[in-house]
Amino acid sequence: MKEETPTSKFKWCNLILIITMTVLLIRLWDLQIMRGSEMRRLSEQNRIRIKKVIAPRGIMYDRSGRVLADTRPSFNVYITPEDIKDFSQTVDGLAKLVDTDRDDIIDKLKAASRMPPSFPVKIKSDVPMDEVARIEAHRVYIPGVSIQIEPKRNYPYGEMLAHALGYVSEINDEELKMKEYKDYSPGDYIGKYGLEKNYENYLRGIDGEKRVEVDARGREVRTLDIIEPTAGNSLYLNIDMDLQMTVEKTMENKKGGCVALDTKTGGVLVLASRPAFDPNKFASGITKEDWQKIITDKSHPLQNRVTQGRYPPGSTFKIALALKALELGVINERTTFLCRGGFPFGNRVFKCWKKGGHGNIAVHRAIVESCDVFFYNVGLKLGIDRIHDIADSIGLGKLTGIDLPGEKQGLIPSTAWKKKTYGQPWYEGETVSVSIGQGAVWLTPIQLSELSAFVANGGTTYKPQLVNRVVSPVGKVIKVFEPVINSSVKLKKENLKLVQDGMRGVVNEPGGTAYGSRLQTVAMSGKTGTAQAASSEKGSHLADHAWFIAYAPSEEPSIAMAALVEHGGHGSSAAAPIAKAITEGLFRTKIEVKEAKAHENR
Amino acid sequence: MRIDKRRLYHLDWYLILNGLILFGIGIMNLVSATSSFYSGSYNFIIKQLIAFVLGLILIIVVTHYDYRLIADNSKWFYLGGIFFVVLVLIIGMVAGGARRWISILGISFQPSEFMKPIMVMVLANMLYEKKRENIPLSLRDIVKPMVWTFIPFILIVKQPDLGTGVVIILTTLAIMWFVGLKKSTYAVLISFGLMAPFIAWNYLMKPYQKMRVLSFINIDADPAGFGYHAKQALIAVGSGKFLGKGFMAGTQHKLQFIPEHHTDFIFTVFGEEWGFVGSVVLFSLFISFIHRCLKVALDAHDELGAIMAFGIASIIYFQFTINVLMAIHLVPVVGIPLPLISYGGSSLVSTLISIGLLLNISMRRYMF
Repeated sequence: MKEETPTSKFKWCNLILIITMTVLLIRLWDLQIMRGSEMRRLSEQNRIRIKKVIAPRGIMYDRSGRVLADTRPSFNVYITPEDIKDFSQTVDGLAKLVDTDRDDIIDKLKAASRMPPSFPVKIKSDVPMDEVARIEAHRVYIPGVSIQIEPKRNYPYGEMLAHALGYVSEINDEELKMKEYKDYSPGDYIGKYGLEKNYENYLRGIDGEKRVEVDARGREVRTLDIIEPTAGNSLYLNIDMDLQMTVEKTMENKKGGCVALDTKTGGVLVLASRPAFDPNKFASGITKEDWQKIITDKSHPLQNRVTQGRYPPGSTFKIALALKALELGVINERTTFLCRGGFPFGNRVFKCWKKGGHGNIAVHRAIVESCDVFFYNVGLKLGIDRIHDIADSIGLGKLTGIDLPGEKQGLIPSTAWKKKTYGQPWYEGETVSVSIGQGAVWLTPIQLSELSAFVANGGTTYKPQLVNRVVSPVGKVIKVFEPVINSSVKLKKENLKLVQDGMRGVVNEPGGTAYGSRLQTVAMSGKTGTAQAASSEKGSHLADHAWFIAYAPSEEPSIAMAALVEHGGHGSSAAAPIAKAITEGLFRTKIEVKEAKAHENR
Repeated sequence: MRIDKRRLYHLDWYLILNGLILFGIGIMNLVSATSSFYSGSYNFIIKQLIAFVLGLILIIVVTHYDYRLIADNSKWFYLGGIFFVVLVLIIGMVAGGARRWISILGISFQPSEFMKPIMVMVLANMLYEKKRENIPLSLRDIVKPMVWTFIPFILIVKQPDLGTGVVIILTTLAIMWFVGLKKSTYAVLISFGLMAPFIAWNYLMKPYQKMRVLSFINIDADPAGFGYHAKQALIAVGSGKFLGKGFMAGTQHKLQFIPEHHTDFIFTVFGEEWGFVGSVVLFSLFISFIHRCLKVALDAHDELGAIMAFGIASIIYFQFTINVLMAIHLVPVVGIPLPLISYGGSSLVSTLISIGLLLNISMRRYMF
């Protein structure tokens, strides 16, 4: 029986087995030998991702080495589009786990749509620990989501010095298109304001790179190698944080600005603008509500009142007039004018602030008591164009060149200016207003601090400089900012002394407008100013702006200041105490070194 | 009821050794394939070894009874098998969108796996007399076997477990071919064969199965990610190059780029880690094993044994070929385990029972 069974079927079977083996071998030869290297490369590409290691930004220190801005680790949530398996599962899942809208996530993904799909898109910065834990626990269900620990900008002093330090924030679409940001990518942080913006090139480090092995869900399995990032350079500021804190405290709940300069170098010791903002909010990705709150705030917390706020200088301007008039010989020490409390000119009467008048008054008492009528006369004798020239030679109205972005120019009128702007001739009556710093005179606090420094230095001003030096992460000094002279005018010693004595008298002589702010330990010189504020939209009268410019010590000045309090009333009562506090603080700290501890912000 | 020493002597030691080597390779490969799972390899390996021991016990049981006795009772096995397949549809556990498992006393198994050897026994019992008389099967002769095949086929495809269904159909066709067919029967079967894809596409296949076919035709079309996985499987095998990445060193499966890499896509793990050389060795072992199964059929004492052995050879051949071709993208993705290599207790036990039947036939080849 068995012998008769046709074995041809088994021959067919053997043939089929041979064909099967041949087909398999040809296919494997093709895949593993012919295309093996390509396949190996594809498998490597699959598993190896190049990830950016963000370099920490440079640190900012005050003059005694206290940290004003540094970096701390924060947890950031990313989505890598390539690793998403089911779009709505990942996006909705993440929206449920963290405090973020679904639409926000989609917006962020859209914004980065021109990047390759393997580029991780930052969805949320600085997520709290409980959200990190929730994401970690649900990672399997939200493929594509990852958490990175990255350096985050931190400002331990919070709102203090905010306008000088500025803030960092994520680069936006418009900025990405700009030439200066061509080597930035979405999600990068850039300085957007203040020193952060001005010194972006120094502060920004060089990002590192690491090659990591990821699984099919994009989770990092291990790091293969790493190019360490290089931290940004540090900035050492001229700021004295003790004084800064004193000023910030004095100005709490006020609106205004205050700046103090080192008269010998132009170094900025104090720069305060109120109301302020908390730069930490920007660093951790400001929420829409917070941003709306800041930009719609009527008190404009983002405005740096020291460099961008323009106000009529009021009586502080009289210092410039007095100096020029003396220099030109328009008046001398003994020239007197009669003040009866008013000054009839044309068909109106310009008032002196003192109703009864000052009687016969010469330049010294006119400065000390801030007699308006005296300066109406001086102003008319000088004429508007000579007033413009003196202001110009001191540098008033021009940019001081402080190392902050967005500084505003002031305005000192002249006949040429009025012709050009309004096509009208200058009227003498306007000169009367300008003589006491009203009318079309607009100056910023930083410019007025230069006026104070001008008198203190006897005709020299320096460019205000916030940063003293740039130091590399290993401690090498890269750049030192030497003092730069802004203006240098030769003045007659006796004229200078007259004005200086006048300013000293303002604070130290009975009857001086700032006599209340005199100090026992050190002599301070100054000049008050009270400038009419523009009426509000509703037409109601707002309180005047209070000014005080000062320098100290009177004999050998080392610090020049300007303080402005918006709607503060009189310079003597509102602004002068700020300068007093600075001077007091500065010359006390020299005796007893005070340990001021930065209160931890976070 | 002792197994007689002479029969023990006639055990097909070649088949046993070949099978053990394949199983050994399977276990080794499984250690690597399951190492990336959260729970680790240990549980998988233990379960696989328990199934192996159970399978060995069943081999002893199966070889104890004469295969003719077993074939005589095959319709009871068939009815039992159908019972469980129906039970699966009613109370089966759902995993990965399919209802394939049933759990009894805490042990879960896949009844469809056991339908494969049962079908071989039933058909052999049905057709061995025709074979002995050397009469080619007429159209009428194949109606009964086809009906008996289609009942479990439809039930299994409903689970859905298209892979097992396909293997059962192909095995039935192979057995009928082995018995011999009339020319007219060939003609009818071939014309049905040409219509089958059309019928399957329009009436039988589920959307995800259609997508697999579409992604097979165009791997980059990627409907629902099937093309992506097929591509990752190809990359895995290809990246093994000549000598492979080495044991435990495959990245494609470790990093989860390939789904089911411990079951249906197990070959991608082996191909990636052992390369061309290892794959050639593995294929040779399979071809040699199947060839040995066919030799059991050739040497069988009677036609019943020959058909049974041939049927079992067919099951193993189809599973091996379709599984590997699927991994290297020469056929559409369909869930078929690689015998002795893939993880899965039911598949392993079913394969071992089949081997037990082969040993049964071969040790009784000199019996009169």
